[in-house]
Amino acid sequence: MVYAYYPGCSLKGSAKKLDVGIRKVFGVLGMHLEEIPDWNCCGAVEYGDASEIRSMSRKNLFKALKVSTRIIAPCPLCSKNLKESDGSGEFSILHPLDVLSLDFLMSIPAKKDLKGYVITPYYGCLLLRPKETAIKDKEIMEKVILSFGGQVAGEEIKDKCCGGNKFFVDKEIVYKLSKIVLKKSSPFIVVFCPLCHMVLKTFSEGQKVLYFTDLILYILGEKKEL
Amino acid sequence: MQMIDTEKVFEYSGYKKEDFSVCLGCKICASVCTLNDIGENVNPQEILISIFLGKVLNTHPLVRLCTSCYRCTDSCPWSIRIPEVIRALKEISQKEESFGKAFRSSIKIFGRIYEPYVILKLSSVLLRKGYIKFFPKWIEYFSLHLPHFVRRD
Ligand code: SF4
Ligand code: SF4
Repeated sequence: MVYAYYPGCSLKGSAKKLDVGIRKVFGVLGMHLEEIPDWNCCGAVEYGDASEIRSMSRKNLFKALKVSTRIIAPCPLCSKNLKESDGSGEFSILHPLDVLSLDFLMSIPAKKDLKGYVITPYYGCLLLRPKETAIKDKEIMEKVILSFGGQVAGEEIKDKCCGGNKFFVDKEIVYKLSKIVLKKSSPFIVVFCPLCHMVLKTFSEGQKVLYFTDLILYILGEKKEL
Repeated sequence: MQMIDTEKVFEYSGYKKEDFSVCLGCKICASVCTLNDIGENVNPQEILISIFLGKVLNTHPLVRLCTSCYRCTDSCPWSIRIPEVIRALKEISQKEESFGKAFRSSIKIFGRIYEPYVILKLSSVLLRKGYIKFFPKWIEYFSLHLPHFVRRD
């Protein structure tokens, strides 16, 4: 199966690790990602005019037509924007978690398990809200961790906001918000969003912040340690 | 308070005035608002009321601090997308911060957010506002990559 891949701006820079991880996970699992040619910024949350953001994202859908109408977008904000720009539903815009279902993940060629690890899946905001663009299975990561023998902790903060998009506006507020998350998290925090990664890592004191792809690669034996 | 055109807020956010008349005043939005977890004591509903009444509170703390977390939307009986209303309000009252300005300028030049350019543009803010101390933790985020210029149509 070939998917059109929309990395988005962060994955080309600060979130390179997520980009590499996604390509590797999909590769190992035999799914082909082809980057959308000449894609542009999805608009993020940078414009007050909602139709401006939709038209920026819509352009990407047209560019994807050269590859596929099935589009993978790993950044939660990009996937929300792309989903919202597809008014008539002619495209299938997917966050990787919409593709890597539990059944599917349980059948992967696992080389390692998660025994002895206590892990906090931290989804943040946009994978779970608003409901129109949320991922289908809102407990998928907990199920994956448990299925591979790990323990889950800190579920009560899984949908809290780290304040990420205000990081460069008011860092004190973001400090306080991220501390709420960090306090309830275990030593291993699994994140999905480039900004969550940056904020939690900045304010973490020894807790390890991982992308969900790191966890999958570890299980697949492609990564030596968590 | 600056008088601003409420029509534009409706146009930008895609709402109509009637859409706000259904607001029950239940303040569930305030009870779940992220900023109240850290004692900011804000009420998102005030923004809707003020727009409904045509008196826009563009000095409301949420204009600067709303994180677009959609917790309010998720709990509101009418699923009102308050963060999008706030973004419209912010745009119209020209309250964009330097960070947002740098982002937009990058999108204008490259068609994408090219981080090295954004960092360069924000370097004085990063210096002045004490972000430099985070740099050791940010090493993994810095990468040298050439910009891509998206074709114009
Ligand atoms: S989106 Fe903004 S107003 Fe709504 S709960 Fe989050 S911070 Fe509060
Ligand atoms: S939750 Fe919705 S209906 Fe209730 S006060 Fe807030 S905006 Fe109004």
